[in-house]
Amino acid sequence: MLEANHIVYKYEDGTKALNDVTVKVNDNEIVALLGKNGAGKSTLFLHFNGIFKPDKGEVLVEGKPIKYNNKGLLDVRSKVGVVFQNPDDQLFAPTVQEDVAFGPLNLGLSQEEVENRVKESLKKVGMSGFERKPPHHLSGGQKKRVAIAGVLAMKPKIMVLDEPTSGLDPKGASQVLKLLYKLNSEGISIIISTHDVDLVPLYANRLYVIKEGQIIKEGTPSEVFSDVKTIRGANLRLPRIAHLAEILEKEDSIDFEGEYPLTISQARNQFLEKLDL
Amino acid sequence: MTLNIDYIAQTNRLRDVNSNLKIVLSIGIMLISLISQNIPLEICVIILAAIGIMGVARVKPSIYLKFIAIPFAFTSITCVFLLFFFGVGPVIWDSGIWGIVIRQDAYNLAVLTFFRVFACFSCLGFMSLTTPINDFLHALAKVHVPKIFIELSMLMYNIIFIFLEEVETMRNAQKSRLGFNGYMNSFKSLGSIIANLFFKSLEKAESLQRTLESRGYNGEIPIYEPSK
Repeated sequence: MLEANHIVYKYEDGTKALNDVTVKVNDNEIVALLGKNGAGKSTLFLHFNGIFKPDKGEVLVEGKPIKYNNKGLLDVRSKVGVVFQNPDDQLFAPTVQEDVAFGPLNLGLSQEEVENRVKESLKKVGMSGFERKPPHHLSGGQKKRVAIAGVLAMKPKIMVLDEPTSGLDPKGASQVLKLLYKLNSEGISIIISTHDVDLVPLYANRLYVIKEGQIIKEGTPSEVFSDVKTIRGANLRLPRIAHLAEILEKEDSIDFEGEYPLTISQARNQFLEKLDL
Repeated sequence: MTLNIDYIAQTNRLRDVNSNLKIVLSIGIMLISLISQNIPLEICVIILAAIGIMGVARVKPSIYLKFIAIPFAFTSITCVFLLFFFGVGPVIWDSGIWGIVIRQDAYNLAVLTFFRVFACFSCLGFMSLTTPINDFLHALAKVHVPKIFIELSMLMYNIIFIFLEEVETMRNAQKSRLGFNGYMNSFKSLGSIIANLFFKSLEKAESLQRTLESRGYNGEIPIYEPSK
């Protein structure tokens, strides 16, 4: 669905922000990109909808390379919806409904159709009834949801979210991820960047780990998190429950065969097994 | 700012009345007050506006008083000056100090100006306290005010609140490190807030450009007209 192949991107001072990065998102997948601050996640995401053009390499949307002219970019942006980290950078209109309507209006839809989409998107993110509120009257979590609604209203085929759970309280973070999971079940592919490793195994089909502009690991959550050395080398950590299992294995000789549980339910199953219950 | 006009405009009882009507009415009466020489007329306008704002729109008197306090203060000072330092006609009161006198025409002018300004501000108050900003911008668009002006206003509106918050945060951070101890220090701290804000606004402009482009921005902000 979305492919970034061998992307090289340099900052103005010549440092390579991205050095031969290849990331793919297949239809109906949820992919997570893990990496520390400054590793290049946001920079990569800005390539997905043509805001940045790679110095080398190409970005393919539905198999076709992005055309960097007005028409091509509008086409890409209607298919690839990017939600940025800070909602204050995205909400610009005096009311919520005008902000959400911005995307569909730019796509040239009729006022009636736009109205339907605004209603639908706000309902999906749980912000119905907030149509006439000014964005600066909303809380952080509410602003985030409106930002997502604004992109949803364009009915993209893939949604790219830069640190969707940052700054949210645990319930807020969980609500956002539940929403993404639901959207995915309705056919939208998702790629998120995060360093919230505890939530990742619950939702992601595949992971990429990026360090200093290079992909150093990719695979399913269990494949990636079993390579503990690489994870820690990238300024990340294991999910807490996996860390517990690691300690139990090293210090208390409880054998997990290197396959640490990544979620609470996996841990419960494995512990019950080990304890013969 | 303890007077949140924006919030009041959203929550008053006249919110849903046709904004075009409110704007036309307010500006119309304001223009009439501006040209008129008739003091009783001005007083009528002041009273009507006050009834409109506090009685009909149910804005709290304390809020309206706060709103009217600043222009009231300015006008009072101006009119005092007008009273004593202008005019060329016959004297009606001599204070006896340094030849400061009140002349007849100065008196007339001062009184008229005072009520005139008050009336105009009452109209302005009525409009801004009952009309949410986006309705106002839509009305401007209908009268063919240049689109660029409206788009700039719309963008500035939201950003003002965000920046006010940031200034508050920066000020608190500085206060916590005694940045406002003493006169010279306060100026230095204020200076760095301003400089920082300048850079932040450049950054924000860049981010906003990117996020707008990501949603298909083509240079014009389209107008949304829901059927309500």
